[in-house]
Amino acid sequence: MKIRKILFLLAWLGLILAPALARGGDLLIKNGKILTVTRGVLDKGDVLIRNGIIQAVGTDLQAPPGVRTYDAWGKYVIPGIIDSHTHVALSGTNESADTDTAEVDMADVLNAEDLAIFTALSGGVTMVHTMHGSANPIGGQNVVLSLKWGRPSEEMIVPEAFRTLKFALGENPKRANLSDSEGLRYPQSRMGVNAIIRREMLRARTYMEQWARYLAQKQMKNPPKDLLPPRKDLRLDALADLLRGKLVARVHSYRADETLEFLGLAKEFGFKVACFEHIPEAFKITQELKEAGVGTSVFIDSWAYKIEAAEGIALSAAYCTRQGILVSLNSDGNERIRRLFNEAGKTLRYGRLTEEEALRLVTINPAIQLGVDKIVGSLEAGKHGDLAVFNEHPLSAYARCDLTVIEGEVYFDRAAYLQEREEAAKRAKAPKQTGGAR
Amino acid sequence: MKKTTLLLLCLVLWLGPEAAWPADVGPTYAVVNCKVVPVSGPVLDNGTIVIRDGLIKAVGPTDKVIIPEDAEIIDGQGLTAYPGLLDAHSQVFLEPAREEPASLGRGAPAQPQPAAPQGFTPERQAFKLLKPTKAERAGLHRLGFATVLVVPSKGIFAGQSVLLNLNGDKTEAMVVRQPVALHINFTTERGVYPSSLMGTMAALRQSFLDAQDYARHQTAWQASPRRFKRPEFSPFLEALVPYVVGKRPVIFTCANQEDIKRAIGLAEEFKLNVLLSGANEAWRVVEAVKKARLPLLISLSFKPPLTSLYANQGDELKKKAEDEIYPANPAALYKAGLSFALTSYGLTKADDVLKNAQAAIKAGLPREEALKALTIHPARFLGVEALLGSLEAGKIANIILTSGEIFEEKTQVKKIFVDGQMFTVEKPPPAAAGPAAVSLNGAWQGKITSPMGEVDISLELDQQGSQVTGTATVMGNKRDLSEGTLNGNALAFTIQTEIMGQAMSFAFQGTADKDAIQGSMATPMGSAEVRLTRVPKD
Repeated sequence: MKIRKILFLLAWLGLILAPALARGGDLLIKNGKILTVTRGVLDKGDVLIRNGIIQAVGTDLQAPPGVRTYDAWGKYVIPGIIDSHTHVALSGTNESADTDTAEVDMADVLNAEDLAIFTALSGGVTMVHTMHGSANPIGGQNVVLSLKWGRPSEEMIVPEAFRTLKFALGENPKRANLSDSEGLRYPQSRMGVNAIIRREMLRARTYMEQWARYLAQKQMKNPPKDLLPPRKDLRLDALADLLRGKLVARVHSYRADETLEFLGLAKEFGFKVACFEHIPEAFKITQELKEAGVGTSVFIDSWAYKIEAAEGIALSAAYCTRQGILVSLNSDGNERIRRLFNEAGKTLRYGRLTEEEALRLVTINPAIQLGVDKIVGSLEAGKHGDLAVFNEHPLSAYARCDLTVIEGEVYFDRAAYLQEREEAAKRAKAPKQTGGAR
Repeated sequence: MKKTTLLLLCLVLWLGPEAAWPADVGPTYAVVNCKVVPVSGPVLDNGTIVIRDGLIKAVGPTDKVIIPEDAEIIDGQGLTAYPGLLDAHSQVFLEPAREEPASLGRGAPAQPQPAAPQGFTPERQAFKLLKPTKAERAGLHRLGFATVLVVPSKGIFAGQSVLLNLNGDKTEAMVVRQPVALHINFTTERGVYPSSLMGTMAALRQSFLDAQDYARHQTAWQASPRRFKRPEFSPFLEALVPYVVGKRPVIFTCANQEDIKRAIGLAEEFKLNVLLSGANEAWRVVEAVKKARLPLLISLSFKPPLTSLYANQGDELKKKAEDEIYPANPAALYKAGLSFALTSYGLTKADDVLKNAQAAIKAGLPREEALKALTIHPARFLGVEALLGSLEAGKIANIILTSGEIFEEKTQVKKIFVDGQMFTVEKPPPAAAGPAAVSLNGAWQGKITSPMGEVDISLELDQQGSQVTGTATVMGNKRDLSEGTLNGNALAFTIQTEIMGQAMSFAFQGTADKDAIQGSMATPMGSAEVRLTRVPKD
C-alpha cells in the first residue's frame, strides 16, 4: 500500500517536474498556412510548442500565459528542413592518408562556431547529417546534428539518429580528380575500390572471430591461465559494428555498375546500406534499389561536372520517388544548404511531383534515412518543435525563410537579424566621440 | 669488516654532505631589510632571507633571523623579494628546428595503420634538444623567471618536457626534474596518417589502447616468462606506458574550446593523469573545466584561435577580443573558483608575459592570484611544491628582488637568485640593438613558387632587434606572422592559417637583405620558393 502511494506521489511529482527539467522552449505560431507534410495542409492553423515538443497542430490554439506568440498570417509553416548529406560544423572533412579510416568519427571534430550553421538556419534547415568526405573507399563515422547555433557542440548531437559509416566508390577514392602531385595511392581503379572494401570486411570478420574465441575462453569454467585479450583495433571495431548491424552504410556512388557491385558486397557480408549518395545514375537501377530497400540522397539539376556524373538527369529524383524509392535532396556543403527548399521546388518542374512529395524530399524522407522520423520531419503532436516559416510557399522561387525554430527556441529570426545588422551599421558610421565605437 | 663499513657510512651520513664533500658549497647570502612576499604566508615589511648552498636556510623578520658569519650581506632596502617565477609551458632554449613536412608517401602501398604512426615521437626528450643561450637566460631573468618547463613543440606526440632552473649554462646542472610530462598537441601530420584532426583523435585513442595492451603483455611476461611469449619491443609504446598507466602526467595543449573538451574526454576515457595547457578559451567552457578538475596551465596569449567566431567576424571584433574578451579568461576561471598557472605559451614576444599578466589583472584577476599562478600553483601542478614556488626555509633559493610590486608597469627585477646563485639583472638592451644585420621594417611584395603554381604574397614587417612581427597577405587573406626572428641575415617566420577547417602553419626560412628577402616555405604540398622585394615608400 505504502509503496504504491509513494509511487503515485512520485509520478505526480514527475509530471510537475518534467516540464521544468525539459530543455526546449515554448512558442505558439498563429494563423499560418501549415504544411505538416504527413498530415495534410491547414489553410489557417496554429502550432503550439511546449518545452520543445509540439503539443498541438490545429486551429484557434491559445497561448498559455507567458508563451511567445508569432503571427504567421499570410506565411507558410513547414517542418524544419533536414539535410541528409553535408560537411558543415566540422574541423576537417577527410582523413585521406589511408584507404580505410573507419575508426575516425566526425563527432570528435565538431566546430560549433562554423558560420555555415547560421547560413543553414537562414534557409530553414534545422538538422544535418554531417559526414566524412569521399577520399577513401571506407571513410569515417558521421554524426547527425541539431543546428543549435550558439550552443556547445555536444548539445547539437542527436543521439536518436542511426550511427552511419561513410563509403565512397568511383572517381574520388581512386583519386581520378586529383593531380599527380597529390601522390599515387592504391586504389587507382574501381576494381581496387571494391577489393579494398572486401579485404577490410574479411579482416573485420577475422577480428570478430578472434574476439569471440577469446570471450568464449574467458567464460569457460576453467579459463586458460595465460589468457590475454586480443589487440583492440578501433578501425576493425567500427567495421565489426557495421557487420553486427550497429552501424549502417552511407555510400558515395555515381555509376549504376559500381552501385550494384556494392549491393553485392553488402549482401555477401550481411551489412545494411541506408542510402546511396549523389548517385546520378539511380534512375537506371530503380528496381534493384527498391528490392534492396535502399534510399538515395541526390542533387536535382547538377550533373556532368565530371565524367562519372555525365549521365545524370534532372528527372531522376522525381522518377525514383514515383518508383517507390526513398529519396532525399542534399546540400553536400555550406552553400546549397541555404536553398534546399529551392531544390525541392525544382522537382515540380522536373518530374511534376506534388507539393507534398516535393517537401518530403527535404523533411520526412531524410528523417527516415537518418532514423529520426519519430522525432522530426513533420509537424505532428509529440515531435520536436523544429519548424521554419516562409514568406511564400517554400517551393516558390520567391520564397524566403523568415523564422527557424528548433525545439521551440528561435535560432533564426530574419527581422530581428536585419534590425541588428542595421544598428551595427549605424554604430559603425556614427562619429567616435558619441560612443559609436565599442 | 662489514660492520666497520656500515659504521663509517653512518658517520658520513650523520656528518652530512658538507662534511663528506666539502669542496663545492654554494655561496652564502643574506638579503636584509627587504619587503618579503613569500606567497605561502603573510608579507613581511622588513624581512631577511638567508641563502646557503642553493637553498633558503631562513626567512623571517629581520630582527629575528640569525645571519651566518660567512654570509655576504645584500642590502634589500627599497626592494621586494618574491619567489622566482615559474613558466610552466616554455619553448625557450629549443632550437627552432623547423621540421620539413613528411614525404607524401608517393606510390606507397596502403597498409593497415602501423603501431607507431610516422611522426609520433613520445620518446623525444626536450632535455636532449636544449641549446641554452646566455641572451635568452638573461631575458628571462629580466622578467623574473627562475624556472621554466621546456616543452618540445612539434607534432602530435611532441615529446617529454624538462623542468629547468635558469642557473647557468650547464644543462645537467639546470635540471630540476626530468622528464616531467608527455605533451600532446591536437595537430596533424602532413601527407601521412593521421593527416586530419579526426584521424589524430582516432590515432591518439589507438595509441593509448596499444600502450595499455603493451603494458599488459609486458607485465604478464615479466611475471611468468615461462608461460608467455616475449612481447615485441616497441620504443614508441615503451615511452607511452608510464603515461597511460597514470604514473606520469600527460599535458594536452588546447588551442580552442573544442580541444579542451577533447582533452577532458580522453582523460576520462583512458583514466590519464592530465593537465590542460594553452586553453585561452577555458572561459567559454568553464563548467566543463570545473567538473573535470584538471590542473590548468593557462596561456597568457589573448589571440582568439582561428576556429573562434571572434577571429572570423571582422577586425573590429577581433581587436575587441584581443584587448578585452580573452584577457578576462584568467579572471573568469578565478571567479569560478579554479586555480591555475599562467604561462608564456603562444606568446611571440617574451616581454608580453608580464604585460599580459597586467592585462589579466586589469580584467579582474586579483594580483595575489596572478602571483600564485606564476609561482606556487605551477609548482604544485608539476609536483615540485616541496622544492619551489614560495619563500620558505628548505626550498630551493629561487628569489627575485624587484624595485616594486611585481605587476606594476615600471617595476624592474634588480637581482635574481637561482639555486642560490646570484645574478645581477642587466638593463634591457636598447631596442633594435639585437644581432639583426638589417632593418626590415616596411612593406614587401613577391611571389611564392611551388610545383602547384605561383601565388602573390605581400608582407608588412615590424622588426625590433631580432624579433619580427607583422602580417602576410596571400590570395587576399591577411594573417599575423608568428615565431618571427632575424639573426644576422637569417630570417624565419611562420604563417598560421586555416584551410578547410584545419589549422595549418607555413614556416618560412631564408635570408634578408636591405631590399630582398628570399628563402623557402614548408607547405603541406611540399616546399615552395619565396622571393620578395621591398615596396618603395611613396
